[in-house]
Amino acid sequence: MRIKGSQDLAAGLMFGIIGLLAIKIGADYPVGSWQRPGTGVLPLILAWCLVGIGAILTLKGLVSAGPSLLEGQWAWRPVIMVTLAGIAFALLVDDGGLVAAMAVSMAICALGTPETRWREFAYFTVIMCVTAVLMFIKGLGMPIKVFPWN
Amino acid sequence: MELTDLFSNLALGFSVAATPANMFWCLMGALVGTAIGVLPGVGPVATMALLLPTTYYLPPEGALIMLAGIYYGAQYGGSTTAILINLPGESSSVVTVLDGYQMAKQGRAGAALAIAAIGSFFAGCVATVAIAVAAPPLTKVAQKFAPADYCSLMVLGLVFAIVLARGSVVKALGMVFLGMLLGLVGTDVNTGNLRYTFGISDLFDGIGFVPLVMGLFGMAEIMANMTNAERRDLVTSKVTGLMPTWADLKASAMPVLRGTILGGFLGILPGGGAVLASFSSYTVEKKLAKDPSRFGKGAIEGVAGPESANNAAAQTSFIPMLTLGIPSNAVMAMMIGGMMIHGIVPGPQVMTDRPGLFWGMIASMWLGNLMLIVLNLPMIGLWVRMLMVPYRLMSVAILFFCCIGVYSLNNSANEVLFIAVFGLLGYLFFKLDCEPAPLLLGFILGPLLEVYMRRAMLLSRGDAMVFIERPLSASFLALAAVLLVIVLLPNIRKAREVAFVE
Repeated sequence: MRIKGSQDLAAGLMFGIIGLLAIKIGADYPVGSWQRPGTGVLPLILAWCLVGIGAILTLKGLVSAGPSLLEGQWAWRPVIMVTLAGIAFALLVDDGGLVAAMAVSMAICALGTPETRWREFAYFTVIMCVTAVLMFIKGLGMPIKVFPWN
Repeated sequence: MELTDLFSNLALGFSVAATPANMFWCLMGALVGTAIGVLPGVGPVATMALLLPTTYYLPPEGALIMLAGIYYGAQYGGSTTAILINLPGESSSVVTVLDGYQMAKQGRAGAALAIAAIGSFFAGCVATVAIAVAAPPLTKVAQKFAPADYCSLMVLGLVFAIVLARGSVVKALGMVFLGMLLGLVGTDVNTGNLRYTFGISDLFDGIGFVPLVMGLFGMAEIMANMTNAERRDLVTSKVTGLMPTWADLKASAMPVLRGTILGGFLGILPGGGAVLASFSSYTVEKKLAKDPSRFGKGAIEGVAGPESANNAAAQTSFIPMLTLGIPSNAVMAMMIGGMMIHGIVPGPQVMTDRPGLFWGMIASMWLGNLMLIVLNLPMIGLWVRMLMVPYRLMSVAILFFCCIGVYSLNNSANEVLFIAVFGLLGYLFFKLDCEPAPLLLGFILGPLLEVYMRRAMLLSRGDAMVFIERPLSASFLALAAVLLVIVLLPNIRKAREVAFVE
């Protein structure tokens, strides 16, 4: 059987799987009484709704024609690099200080597009770092180290 | 009696809004808003999210005045980009591109920019008065709502938002449910039980609004935009003849008026907002024109109408947020986020409990519009130069502001990790053609809905029929059901798709 609308199918699976997971985890939550609905009531209602939506979209993706998941490029390079850049900032900011966190994360982010011109990027990073230190650490007094040895 | 009330309320508002500090925040908001409006690929939602942590340092009045300024400033800025480079700076100025860019190519960029600004200003003034007039009675009505009525009103609001959103209704519904579920993560305030925290202590207080928004809108936006190679065709860096001719003004007068009225009404509807307003206004103007073929070739009505409509709608969309505490679109969800950071619970009580804040914000909108028209036209040159900043640098800067913004909230590096996760999720939504805006509305309304549902059930002693027995609640629910059924009927669905494509 050929899949006619892989985008809808994928969206359906996403909603469906999240819904099922939420039901499984939420099964232990107390439901309380009618008068005092417990912790589990609304999550379970929502989770079942999600499963329903997931089922509809999955069926729709299988049966009726729709856009393909592969239409348009998947931007793997920016997706991976931007995500890594966020993670790098999170890992570095506490121990490495603001300058290191900025330089590393911004460089990783810049790797995400082939359009980056590294000389221009270097100047830009220096300006950004100086501005950020002045604005956030000196100006707003945020408790972040400037350099790792501070 | 009512009129004197209106004047005394507005006087109170202006006394708050016109303090030097608040004027400054209003100006900052309007300028930042214009700047991001000018830049394509940076939306008001992402920018407001970026600035949300900063507003923590401001008094609540200043914070909300600035956030509001960003939104309507963006409507002004978006038109500049649309007219000068064949690209919408904001999604609400998509239609302005059609005729605005053509006018610029014919050497009438100045007239187009001026008409867009004048139309926006007029619409802004009318909408400010509309808010001031409509808010008190609506608030009075809202104060009589029982918990059950509130619950049903929220359902109706969510349904409206789905119906008027672009794209698939089913997917939008799914996003609302998912958003509500995400909103419930953390400690259940009523019972103290933990929900969906996976043992991660950073989730015990719930998913942060700021990391969620920055990931879904900021990071995902960078990812999506980095793929598209950019092309910006600037018509001309020099804009001359800013004064529109008498004939231009005469041709624009009626479209501005119609756009304002249309936009004002559409703005109040949940999910409507600026985009829908500008599209509808363009369609109306084209239908009413004696010679519709001029449209798309530089008709000034095609700039005047939609630009007035989007600004009017941008402002009237504050009405449901201010009076009922229900966000009608992602931007209003952001305003509510801004309120909650300052410990203000959105709802009808805001007007009575904090009249200075309420009326100050309304008055600031008028002041902000005035500042925008005075400042914007002479500053066109600066905005144009800003368009020269390439996206390869902007994306890096946005990434940094996302990270530092989230970090600054609680000095927690783990929350920065969340934006990386939400960024990935946002990109997935983008590829699956699932709009993130309904998710955000669900996220805000989910926990509120639970609170009111519990109150309603407690008051009715466990009788779920209370939602149907109370006339108000029943009519809200009935309306919601009717809307959902209508939009799912095949014929209407087709018409709706056509309307959004046009």
